[in-house]
Amino acid sequence: MSALRPRFRTTNVRRRKEVTAAYLFLAPGFLLFALVILYPIARAFQISLYNWSLVPGQASRFLGLHNYNRAIHDPIFWRALENTGFYMAVTVPGQIILGLAAAVLLDAWLPGRGLFRTLFYIPVVTSWVVVSLLFQYLFITDGGLINWIIHDNLHVVGHNIDWLGSRWTAMLALSILGIWKGVGWAMVIFLAALQGVPVELKEAAAVDGAKAWARFRAVSLSAIRPVIAFVTVMLVIGSFNVFISVFLMTQGGPLDETQVILTYMYRWAFSYLDFGYGSALSFILTLIVFVFAVGQLRLFRRPSEARS
Amino acid sequence: MVVGSRRRTRLVLGGRLTVLSFGAVVMMLPFVYMLATSFKPNALVLEIPPQFFPHHPTTTNYTDAWTSNQFGHYFFNSLWVAVVTTVAAVLLSAMMAYALARFRFPGRTVAFGLILIGLMVPGMMMLIPQFLLAKKLLLLNSLWGLVVFYTGGNLALNTFLLRSFFQDLPHELDEAMVVDGGGPWTRFWRLVLPLSRPALAVVAIFTFLASWDEFTWALTIINDPSKYTLPIGIALFQGQHSTSWGLVFAASAIAIGPVIAIFAVFQRQFVSGIATGAVKA
Amino acid sequence: MRVRRVIAFACVGAAVAVTAATASAHVDRAHTTTVTFWDAYSAGGGEVKTLESVVIPGFEKTHPGIVVKDVTIPYNDLHQKLITGVAGGQLPDLVRSDIIWVPELANLGVLAPLDKAMPDFKKYASRVFPGPLATNYWRGHYYGLPLDTNTRIFNYNPAALSAIGASGPPRTFAQLVSLSAQAKAKGYDLYAESGTSCWNVCPWIWSNGGTITNSTYTKATGYLNGPKSVAAIQMLVDLYKAGEMPGIIINSNAGLGTYDGINQNKYVGTLDGPWMDAIFSAAYPKTQITGSLVPAGPGGSVSVVGGEDIVMTSASKNKSAALTFLRYMLGYGTQAQMALAGQMPVLKSSAKWLTRVHPYYATYVKQLATARPRTPTPKWTQIDQVITTDVAKAFQGSESAQQALTDAAQQIDGLLK
Repeated sequence: MSALRPRFRTTNVRRRKEVTAAYLFLAPGFLLFALVILYPIARAFQISLYNWSLVPGQASRFLGLHNYNRAIHDPIFWRALENTGFYMAVTVPGQIILGLAAAVLLDAWLPGRGLFRTLFYIPVVTSWVVVSLLFQYLFITDGGLINWIIHDNLHVVGHNIDWLGSRWTAMLALSILGIWKGVGWAMVIFLAALQGVPVELKEAAAVDGAKAWARFRAVSLSAIRPVIAFVTVMLVIGSFNVFISVFLMTQGGPLDETQVILTYMYRWAFSYLDFGYGSALSFILTLIVFVFAVGQLRLFRRPSEARS
Repeated sequence: MVVGSRRRTRLVLGGRLTVLSFGAVVMMLPFVYMLATSFKPNALVLEIPPQFFPHHPTTTNYTDAWTSNQFGHYFFNSLWVAVVTTVAAVLLSAMMAYALARFRFPGRTVAFGLILIGLMVPGMMMLIPQFLLAKKLLLLNSLWGLVVFYTGGNLALNTFLLRSFFQDLPHELDEAMVVDGGGPWTRFWRLVLPLSRPALAVVAIFTFLASWDEFTWALTIINDPSKYTLPIGIALFQGQHSTSWGLVFAASAIAIGPVIAIFAVFQRQFVSGIATGAVKA
Repeated sequence: MRVRRVIAFACVGAAVAVTAATASAHVDRAHTTTVTFWDAYSAGGGEVKTLESVVIPGFEKTHPGIVVKDVTIPYNDLHQKLITGVAGGQLPDLVRSDIIWVPELANLGVLAPLDKAMPDFKKYASRVFPGPLATNYWRGHYYGLPLDTNTRIFNYNPAALSAIGASGPPRTFAQLVSLSAQAKAKGYDLYAESGTSCWNVCPWIWSNGGTITNSTYTKATGYLNGPKSVAAIQMLVDLYKAGEMPGIIINSNAGLGTYDGINQNKYVGTLDGPWMDAIFSAAYPKTQITGSLVPAGPGGSVSVVGGEDIVMTSASKNKSAALTFLRYMLGYGTQAQMALAGQMPVLKSSAKWLTRVHPYYATYVKQLATARPRTPTPKWTQIDQVITTDVAKAFQGSESAQQALTDAAQQIDGLLK
């Protein structure tokens, strides 16, 4: 990898040609993206500045940043933010570690490799509605399978845990579901990335007699670093956007103890029809995620990239 | 020494198999539970502890699901939408990612930043603005309306993923092709795409799954039951006061089939992956 | 912004093409009007089947020139679809709406006031039960007519009732309290309730003589936190604290759901609607259930009205055809057909024949005579959330019933303005 790049002459003409080519490659996709994603985002931001009237033609009242100010003084918003943060802090490392482990175990040949890959991916393709319902049943306090195992059979705990009835146990149960559902997703990407690590590198390191872990860190892990960055950023974004499982399993309850940002946003927008406040909540969420994501991309940035 | 290392290899293999099998069981259990329920008659409530082998297994849920409403029709609507979306989104995002990863041009950082933002805004909030836009574009109540918005919606993730893969392709190969007189198109088709097959497979799988599974947008813009997609068809089995889980799970099992098939087909690409030896260590 | 202009041009072009195409189509079918009808009938049961293979074909046969296009939408998503439809000006001619959304939609101005738009409104209004009719009222007008109705009664497992040594179901508040203690001694919960919303707790408040608001629906303070309302909640809280009501009232995942619990002999009964019998006979054919009136308090036995209304949108371009179909949906034949599919009719005259469709309807008909609608207000969803949260606080013990209801009433006052 350390071979010197042959320098080629970059005349102005060539440079200009390359820039034109880049724009031509970017344009079709980006125009579509701008139309169906960026423009609606801008509209949604506009809505967040208003006491927005749902009915076309009825005047909406401009409020400036009032909806944002309202969020900052809303205790349930803060609780939802903490819950979302907890979910992220548990599910992101969980999915990365387990997904990477599965990918490493499946990277080299073994019997039934394709089958294992498919089995690990099955939770990803099973619908959120179905798995949320299943997990809800598993975590029922009095009569659920989890308590039946750990209390009635293994006697690990002295009483039935009120899983979905109190805040942190509920967030933990939701996080377990999140990890379970997402491991296969991370695994698939890591597998693709590990396949990109040249076999010679892995073999060379093996011949050197380095310990497995050190070898893995030095060769594979550093080679797939950008992909780990990608997966981390994606999982952070995904975990901040957790919605369906909470919406179906606890509805943010009891007593709003398990609200996450999006369930709370959904309630204001689609149940109470206050789309201004709902939009403001989602933009605060976007801002937080953006800061996180850009921070992570910086953190993962390779020295070579930082240089250029 | 040789014998010892072979024994060690076998031990390692055994260990890997044990760990993976345990993992596979954990990953599969809820799914098996779902399948078991789908073969039970009148399963209005899930049973705890679960009963993995129904006493009187029946396939009526499957025949009922398939024949009720226009389920078969929904299936083909979904298939059409997902296939067209996958082709369009993979091609467009590969081109975008190529531009972002292998060229320097004014506005590159801004474009990438906007794509990142597109990834982060919760889709639920864009629902009404997108609906108003679709109305202006005359895309309401049409499967094309699904394709256009699904394609646009998948571009950000795909581009972001492919970009990080494309960045990693050795620059030496590009430069060799440039010396041979290959223009940007040639490099894209002959070099970048073939070398990125594992990543393209991943992106194709994700896009197919996302458009196959999408519910809210389809429900919002489609008003003609003959144009419903599969997720709506499944949701219709959830009643106001009770849900026949046998039916819902049978319908879900039918819906999972194509996704697993797609996965099984594309996952071979992971293995055939990057031509080894193309890069000198 | 050039992009947008190009797109705008493209749209205009496409619009012209489409308009031309539809215009020519109209010439061909000049004499048919299509009425679009959004509903959330259940696909799993016989509702959709009856609508599509009996009701609509029957209508189209007797009304040549009108075609009905029904769009079945999953119940959980109908509200969201309606809201998006409002924002985009894309609503159908008729909607079968949950009764609690009607004031909200009327307040948004998207519904046609039926008492003005329908010349024979009074005739139809006089044929239906007054409780369900009242759910269509908002600010001086009726915006719809009831289409189907239901209410909650005390449904129980008679075998479990004799197992706890009771001679009959609880008829009064006093019997509810004494039988609850008796049930606990035998390992049962007499009354399982799955939430603290108005649907769940209002029957107790009303039966005790309390109310949620004043009669003009402008104030909750002094009503929701009045002594009779508080006493009703206090009675339930006392049962819960004594361990005589299951925890699912504040956390739906605390234990078995009401149906599961009754089937597994943990709960004796619950308050629920007429669908429960059908569900039980399909899922738990071995467990018998039967119903009795909500236990009576000082205010009598007063339950809560549920169900759906049929409303017409103000943007409908086919109002007279839409009204023709609306009348047909309220006809005796249609109501009887839908009753066979499990929809409880709204016609007063149905009381005479409904028990022949199924005997269990008798108690529901009796209960409906006094059942009350929830507060008709566009902010109902929000008000109900306040009730749910604050009443749960009383059960959880973080606040007294009096304090919780006073807090709730204050918040509701703000929402009723």
